[in-house]
Amino acid sequence: MRLVLTADNRLGMLREGGVVDVSSVFDDIRYRAAADRMPRVMAELENRRSRLEALLERGELEALPALLSPAPRPPKLIAASGNFLEGGIGERKPQDMFLQSPDSVIGPGSEVVLPHHDVTIFEHEAELAMVIGKRSKDLPADERALDALAGYTCAMDIAGHGLGRIGPSRIGKSFDTFTPLGPAIVTTDEVPDPQDLRIALTVSGEIRQESTTRDMEYTIVELLAFASSYMTLVPGDVIMCGTQYRGPGALQHGDQAEMTIERVGTLAVSVSDARRREWPRGIDQDVSARQRAAGTA
Amino acid sequence: MRIVMFNQDRMGVVSNDDTVVDITDLLARYNPLGPEDLLPDLISHFDDLRSNLDERLTAGNGIPLADVQLHSPLVRPSKIICLMGNYREGTDRPLQVLDLFFKSPEGISGDGDTVVLPPHQADIFHHEAEIAVVIGREAKDLGTSEAMDAVFGYVAFNDVSARGLGRSDINSFLGKSFDTFAAFGPWIVTRDEIPDPQALQVTVDVNGERRQDYETSDMERPVEELLTYISSVTTLHPGDVICCGTNHQGLGSMQDGDAVVTTVSGIGSFTIHVKDDHARSWQRGVDTAAGERVKAAARHPVGARNGGATS
Repeated sequence: MRLVLTADNRLGMLREGGVVDVSSVFDDIRYRAAADRMPRVMAELENRRSRLEALLERGELEALPALLSPAPRPPKLIAASGNFLEGGIGERKPQDMFLQSPDSVIGPGSEVVLPHHDVTIFEHEAELAMVIGKRSKDLPADERALDALAGYTCAMDIAGHGLGRIGPSRIGKSFDTFTPLGPAIVTTDEVPDPQDLRIALTVSGEIRQESTTRDMEYTIVELLAFASSYMTLVPGDVIMCGTQYRGPGALQHGDQAEMTIERVGTLAVSVSDARRREWPRGIDQDVSARQRAAGTA
Repeated sequence: MRIVMFNQDRMGVVSNDDTVVDITDLLARYNPLGPEDLLPDLISHFDDLRSNLDERLTAGNGIPLADVQLHSPLVRPSKIICLMGNYREGTDRPLQVLDLFFKSPEGISGDGDTVVLPPHQADIFHHEAEIAVVIGREAKDLGTSEAMDAVFGYVAFNDVSARGLGRSDINSFLGKSFDTFAAFGPWIVTRDEIPDPQALQVTVDVNGERRQDYETSDMERPVEELLTYISSVTTLHPGDVICCGTNHQGLGSMQDGDAVVTTVSGIGSFTIHVKDDHARSWQRGVDTAAGERVKAAARHPVGARNGGATS
């Protein structure tokens, strides 16, 4: 199942390039804003699967409308530090994670607005993200942990570098509009092996990042076990699984950034900068080399 | 005015004779989905509710504070924003670049609650007492002259912290996000009760022994500047909280059986109890080594960056 939230506030399931309205299945859910509606919907996704699948099969197909992020203002937005084998060999570094502002989330087709702050560069990081469906603590580091998920989605973890004093820059990653998430929550049954997914990102048609989740240092279930050993995870929480550093490059005014994750979908956003700052186009070889040398995020 | 959460899911105001008047029913008109909505609703509609609240206080019939169970006055804020190292701490170094982290809002505890130390092999667990600012309206890009108008009130806070976890090559702040590690209390005082947040005293006593004891006049960047900078980065919402950082001189361990009292002048005191199933023990008293490390790091800032100097 692939759950979307339309710009006119309807819940839909993707089918053959269009969408089927499934709002009626969740009519009973009380909410005040999309931010508290979606976690409640996600908590009910598996429970209502048979009704949803029936509607998906018989329901009227409409052309894909404008979408919002299916995880707007998540209760927690968690990022895994590093977490890609950058071609290095040896012992795994200890896991680490940090929280970002939930207000940074935007949806498909939105605009990333580069803020006026002085930065050394703005960069993109294409990541697989998981969305929690069940309140969970101390999950095991095995496939049972996947029961806690509502599904997967695409995440662009955008960062302004050169701010703050201790990395990774929470400030630089927490600007409004700096976390495109979407287009859909894809349930786990559609992704039999989350550790074998290709991730690609292009900027204005030019390939920037190409990676595979096979290169994740810690697997999805290890990330879930780690995060839930610290914090209770709640429906709607988003955990971004990290990025491969071979590949990030600058984002600047006029860019169209588009990422695709096999089986999970394609997420595209545009970039605007009132200051019209310019950086060299293409892959930022400096940052890639530094990350490989240090083996750190 | 002092705002509390008490007896599971009730919201109240504390009158001058230290009795709690229940105001939960006044908020029903805003259709809260749960107790986590009461504070943002109260804040958003405070002007409309003011006369009702005053009437309730005048009518009296409150319950004595000693007879209610208080909880954190923040049930589940949408953001807990914490400043890194925002005190001069007896050094005369140049102003540090502002930096911040987010603390898990699932980790809330309040007056009388138990902070549970996790089994993770931390080097030590520290208390970090702070003043915290509760946001009073949706706010983005606040100008200097309007910043303080966006403040609803203040609350005392303890940023309980596990040290030595995560990676050794970057400072990890995840050890501050364990469940129960965000301690707020005893109530929120409205802004009118604190004319100057830069003139408060913050103390921690553990089992009756004084640990942290500092003045908010030592804050590197005052509340007004924190509001303008942070709101330039992220949209703030009613009920969000900005924790202004701690003075690390006076940090000490938190271990099994401790009673930790956090006090901010003009606000009040709250107590958290510490439980550790592994009964780990550390030296009692002030962790002077930790204080010295913070001072040394401030002279040689970690992860110095080119450009991007921001305030």
